Amino acid sequence: MSNPDLPAARARLLAQVEEAARVIAPLWPLATFVAVNPLWDLRHLSFDDAIANAARVLDIDGYPSEILFAQAYADRRITDADLRAALGELSAITADSPRRLRGGDCEQENPENTAGARDGTCKESCSSGKVMTPTERHDYVFDSALAASVDREVAKWCGAYLASILPERGTGGFYAAWRSMVVRDPSARGLVGKAGRDRLGGYGSQPEDAILTCLDLLDITEEERVAQIARQFARMPGWAGHAKWRSRWASAASNGPALHMLDYLAVRYCYEAELLRAARTCKSKRYRLRGLALASRSGLRDKRPERGKLLPGRKEWFDVVDVPDDLREDLSSLSSTEAARATLSAYETNYRDQLLAALNRPAAGPPARSEACLQAQAVFCIDARSEGLRRHLERAGPYETFGFAGFFALPIRYRAFGSTDLIDLCPVLIRPNSELDEMPSAGAELAASRQLAGAQGLSAASGALRAARKGAVSPFILAEATGFFAGPIAAAKTLAPARFEAVRRWILRMLAPPAPTVIAVDLGDKAMSDEEQALFSEAALVAMGLTRNFAPVVLLCGHGSTTENNPYGSSLDCGACGGNTGGTSARAAAAIFNRPIVRRLLADRGICIPESTFFVAGEHDTTTDRVTIFDPHLLPPAHRDAIRELEVALRYAGNALAAERVSHLSGARHTDPVAQVVARSADWAQVQPEWGLARNAAFIVAPRDVTAGVNLSGRCFLHSYDADLDPSGTALEMILTAPMIVAHWISAQYYFSSVDPEVFSSGDKTVHNIVAGIGVIQGAGGDLKVGLPLQSLFDAGLCYHEPMRLLTIVQAPQPLLDAVIARNQILRELFDGRWVHLVARDHGCDAWKVRDPHGAWTNWTPAWSKAKEPITCG
Amino acid sequence: MDEAWGLTRMTKVEVVVGGEDVPVVTELFSEVGARGYTAISNVSGLGHSGYHQGRLLFNDRSVLTILTVVLPAERATALLDGLRSLLANRSGVLLVSDTWVSRPEYFQ
Repeated sequence: MSNPDLPAARARLLAQVEEAARVIAPLWPLATFVAVNPLWDLRHLSFDDAIANAARVLDIDGYPSEILFAQAYADRRITDADLRAALGELSAITADSPRRLRGGDCEQENPENTAGARDGTCKESCSSGKVMTPTERHDYVFDSALAASVDREVAKWCGAYLASILPERGTGGFYAAWRSMVVRDPSARGLVGKAGRDRLGGYGSQPEDAILTCLDLLDITEEERVAQIARQFARMPGWAGHAKWRSRWASAASNGPALHMLDYLAVRYCYEAELLRAARTCKSKRYRLRGLALASRSGLRDKRPERGKLLPGRKEWFDVVDVPDDLREDLSSLSSTEAARATLSAYETNYRDQLLAALNRPAAGPPARSEACLQAQAVFCIDARSEGLRRHLERAGPYETFGFAGFFALPIRYRAFGSTDLIDLCPVLIRPNSELDEMPSAGAELAASRQLAGAQGLSAASGALRAARKGAVSPFILAEATGFFAGPIAAAKTLAPARFEAVRRWILRMLAPPAPTVIAVDLGDKAMSDEEQALFSEAALVAMGLTRNFAPVVLLCGHGSTTENNPYGSSLDCGACGGNTGGTSARAAAAIFNRPIVRRLLADRGICIPESTFFVAGEHDTTTDRVTIFDPHLLPPAHRDAIRELEVALRYAGNALAAERVSHLSGARHTDPVAQVVARSADWAQVQPEWGLARNAAFIVAPRDVTAGVNLSGRCFLHSYDADLDPSGTALEMILTAPMIVAHWISAQYYFSSVDPEVFSSGDKTVHNIVAGIGVIQGAGGDLKVGLPLQSLFDAGLCYHEPMRLLTIVQAPQPLLDAVIARNQILRELFDGRWVHLVARDHGCDAWKVRDPHGAWTNWTPAWSKAKEPITCG
Repeated sequence: MDEAWGLTRMTKVEVVVGGEDVPVVTELFSEVGARGYTAISNVSGLGHSGYHQGRLLFNDRSVLTILTVVLPAERATALLDGLRSLLANRSGVLLVSDTWVSRPEYFQ
């Protein structure tokens, strides 16, 4: 190493890259899609400041559009009272902490400046603060398309590398593989010439050195680096997000080619440097003149219409609807961004007030039943889609329901029978330490070997078909050989999807008849110890408030979805299970709860589960609303009748929920709702099998009594919690630092995908192409798409999801809640920074209180009562 | 403490960071050629940004970890450059001290 400063320069670069990567979110592979707050790594800033900062680099709109606000006002989803309350709150915060409110927005030291803010002067000023890469600056001045060329080339190589088309060069990674191949790339020669192409491969063997060399060539100073690198990432947040996932979140043991952030950045910078060099070799007079202009101008040209431009004549939303004059005047006095903040706050206030009012009303819930006649208890995932099923199940009979994160407190790595792959079944916030295997049940060895043989045959056939599709000549032969079968199959799949699916499953069952299996929770070197099993079981039972009065049957019900031809299928599965279906976690948890040793250890800890209680596992298919009960071979005879009755009740509840849901789905007909949801699930042309978690809005941590009987329209994550069982606040801390974070990520993913679909959504599903099994692109190339598809967010061009920040509602003593927040920085960041709103009360008989960003609590007063307006019901 | 004890002088760098920042810190260690380090997760304490809880049951990324690495002084300089740059914009504690080791070849 000749340069003595090089190690320090490399180390600083690493830190700068890490800082720059804050503006992009990690992007998980499709198979385990995980919803994440796209601005999660900016959470040390307030919500508004994070948006302002991200806007400089990502060029985003961080608030709902004028059209959405205008529509919401017209629908009375935002009322005048809500607006007055929000404006009052805004002015209070402004007076209290002006810098916090304004951060990054157009500074307005006095009201005289506000006119300038609204007529666009200030927006130009703001937009001039946006960051540009060197090629973007060149494009800005010369109307060239160098930045797009960089994107196109880098995306091409990323896709080829992850699809294993590029040869792996030992442990060299993406940069080394690219460097060895680019010198033979005709496309590179076309862009930068033969000499330039040779130089592309000559920027050093280490990605850090290549980046440092390019930064010097591009005259990017040390102070400019973080912003410049961030902008490089922001050019293609999909590929960069995948690299961030691989570098910072993926297990080191993950399979497949690894695209790391430094490699990705090095390739980008090599193209940046060479393309600019090639452009500058043409030193015409015109170039020099415009180069002077380049030096005197800065700022990114706005690519997209600003928010106001969505409405005719650049009007604000309150200019096109009938808002009282005083409100219009108040809103007009604000900058566009401040007006959007106030209107978003009004939009959220309206929902909060309606929800709290609904919780305060005596519910027309299920009849009160004595604990003695309770036939079963059912624990569902906190997922908002469980709410409807729980509500209907409680009405169907003597059933009590609970909500808990769908991994049932078991952070496990799981290997299915006949598979070599390990799957992490837990929130991505934790790394599982134990491994569990699925094994044939005792006495089922013969059936298991038949299943294995059948599965191996199917896998071999599928592999051969896949290989034939990818060959140079074989696809032609394949089309000739199988065309006669493929045509009728395609017609059957299209015309009768449900029936076709039933036949397909029947054939699969014939070829590989499923054998009875168990999850071996007490075998293997990496299985949890008995003590650990008891610890996690206790944590789950205490956190959900189920420590006594156990029913004869306790159902642990995970959830998943069944869809066809849907790259985003895992986005409909369980976030608490790392984007996998939840049935396996339920099976493992039921097996653990049924172990006598675990029950003995639990009894030592004060939780006595009667011998007569049996835990059974199930899975709610959220697309069809069918619940499957697993492992019938394990059911004790004494419980079979009760479980059969539970299945009938679950079928009733599922039918009722399907009828409720189907009316909201696009293209729903007035026919049998159950048949419709089943058909949608099996339809390979269906782009909207279900709405997923669209319209999610609140996370409620309270005993079921608080929400029982209230129709929450599938909008609330429900976590059961009884503060009386948790004097230390440990369970509350667990709920707020894990399930609530997952709920916030989901909420924020939906929020940003809705408010800026161009940047944060994956666009139209119908033009998606899967790349290397890890993501989708639109059309033939370009960036990996991030976020949710449009069909999960919009209905007939209008936003179906209501973009709001998560509202967390907790029933727990305020000192306990304050103590939990005080000792966890992550909670302080989320609540103080207004990423998540918090409302709480000590007990069921107390008034709700709202926590402000400074940690002060005030009694909840609905906006309508302040303004003496009638209550609106949505 | 000196050569009379048969010990060799080194620089000990201790860093306390959030769980999310552990991967980049260990990457920095590798970058400057450190051949090993010690990590203790779930540490608690009070800092200028408030109290930090020691252990969270289902969240490894929001708890603090203390990482300790021992290096020859010349390599520690590069590491400190990177760590100071990293901690300029995020929570963390950086402690640097002299230390003595009995088997210097493990730390070269």
